[in-house]
Amino acid sequence: MIRRPIPRWLVVLLGILGVCTLLAVYGGLSYRQSAINPKQKVIPGLQAFRDGVSRMTEPQGTDESPKPSMLVTDLRATYWRLFLGMGLGVLLSVVVGIAMGSYRWIAAPLAPTISFLAKIPPTAMLPIYFVLVGSDQTMFTTMVALGIFFTMAQSVYQSITNDVRDEAIDKAYTLGASDPEIIYEVIWKQILPPILDNIRLQIGPAMIFLLAAEMLVGGEGIGYRIRMESRVLNMSIVYIYLGILGFTGLLGDWSLLWLRKKLCPWYDR
Amino acid sequence: MRKNLILASLLSIACVGCESSTNTASNTPPTNPAAASSDAKSSGKVSTFTLAWSEYPSWSVFGVADEIGLLNKEAGKQGELEKKWNVDVVLKGVDYDTCLQMYGSNTADAVCITNMDTLGPAMDRASVAILPTSTSVGADACIAVGIDDLDGLKGKATRGLERSVSQYAFERILVKKGLDPKDFPFTNMDPGAAASALQTGDSSVQSIMVWNPFVMQTLRDQPKSKKLFDSSEIPEEIIDMVVVGKDSLAKEGGKQFASCLVETFYAINARMSDPKTSDKTLVAIGANFSSLGLEDMKQVVQQTRFYQSPEDALKLLTSDEFRNKTMPAVVDFCVAQKIVKEKPSIGFDSADSQINFDTSFLKAQASGAK
Repeated sequence: MIRRPIPRWLVVLLGILGVCTLLAVYGGLSYRQSAINPKQKVIPGLQAFRDGVSRMTEPQGTDESPKPSMLVTDLRATYWRLFLGMGLGVLLSVVVGIAMGSYRWIAAPLAPTISFLAKIPPTAMLPIYFVLVGSDQTMFTTMVALGIFFTMAQSVYQSITNDVRDEAIDKAYTLGASDPEIIYEVIWKQILPPILDNIRLQIGPAMIFLLAAEMLVGGEGIGYRIRMESRVLNMSIVYIYLGILGFTGLLGDWSLLWLRKKLCPWYDR
Repeated sequence: MRKNLILASLLSIACVGCESSTNTASNTPPTNPAAASSDAKSSGKVSTFTLAWSEYPSWSVFGVADEIGLLNKEAGKQGELEKKWNVDVVLKGVDYDTCLQMYGSNTADAVCITNMDTLGPAMDRASVAILPTSTSVGADACIAVGIDDLDGLKGKATRGLERSVSQYAFERILVKKGLDPKDFPFTNMDPGAAASALQTGDSSVQSIMVWNPFVMQTLRDQPKSKKLFDSSEIPEEIIDMVVVGKDSLAKEGGKQFASCLVETFYAINARMSDPKTSDKTLVAIGANFSSLGLEDMKQVVQQTRFYQSPEDALKLLTSDEFRNKTMPAVVDFCVAQKIVKEKPSIGFDSADSQINFDTSFLKAQASGAK
């Protein structure tokens, strides 16, 4: 029967089973590849992973000028770029989205352009970014920020037009509220949960844009390392980086869900 | 119903496990390539081998060979030379990086690769270099905008693909000019992206080290650009070649496969040197190399000098310079750049080396051609 409830212990058990199946399939593939070539690094076994981890965490540089390990350098670079880019993108899109949702004379000129640009994948516009903002730190930040800006501004605008009803605004006006008060008390409070959901959904695309850029330019970052190491088939390192990406994505998801529960407890009711 | 579904998914997982790309050797392969040909004919069994190639002047030759029917890139179909050697050659035209990955993961039996990039995969898969196809004599170049000479380049970042032939050529040429590479920072950037950045006037990119077709493109499309130096200063150091896995070569039909590739390469070279077919062949290669036309291709083959005959190739592989200077220098560079952890053993006609430059196929081709 569709949606028939199953006991809690079964949910947990099946979850664990799923993870175990994944590991077993991986182990099987690794075994098979090792049968073809005992020294293979494509689907590495445990020993290769240990080597990979020690290479990643080994401090770089000389004694006089020590540098942090590969892993620390890469994660710091990538997450700083991601944080900066997403922060800027979210801030900009919320401001523009709310302005568009509040005033028709702002929405009218912007909406067609934004909905058009939202459909173009930013990865395909890389050469344009090179011309406009160079190929340094600014490029990564702009790439991520603009990459999520258009889609997010559009969805903030749409959630205002769809979710905030005219009656609510009229009532507030009748009670003597000013424009800024309505924007904060009525519009902002009502669209905060969809904004948080939107940020959550944009982590994935933002990561794609950033990694694509890092694979082309730059001497550090997760994208750079994945390209360089997969070129020489050090897959143990590549897989660990992919795992880290997966976990940070999950972490971002959970923390935004938690934030939504804290800030807008009424939303899930 | 549900049980069937589970069963089906289990089966599909199992199938992934038992899929095998090539058949295994059942008897010891013959040692002489010429003898191998007649041997395989008598057994009547056709083995399948895969060559991964990417677009590059002397490698696009294999794409042309497919077009004119010498080889047939598809599995199960044979071209003229495949029939002669009784093998089925599958051609996979993919990106260069993908070629390295396919070869390293045993998905491809042979690969078109440079001498430098062979070191990495050879640490895990003993490799046999059967055929040097060309050498870079100007196809890798350092191009700058607003910088006139090497003094001006000092301290300014040059963009190019890290740990690749670009960085190798960059450092080698500087050393040869008596300069210290430490004074010339090299930062990572995809060659295509670097070329377009220089062409569009990105102010943060003033100097790039890239390979063809980017060298030609940039010099043509950016009037302010100036070539500071190129790989003509280190001829016969960057070698493009065809490498076969030692394991694949040992399979039944492996030697015929190698012979077939060697003969195919020289068959196209013969067409290039014959005045009647020369232009047509160059155009065909150009169509398989960034869609370049005849004039561009004429320049390209100057900068990427083909080893047009087995004698040319043998001359390189037997030269003291290549054996005792170039290859050790390449190995040192790769160790210094942490491309490989330790030095792989490199040998010439010595089967136990991790990288073995095997001249037997070239010699057989040379004696057969006469």
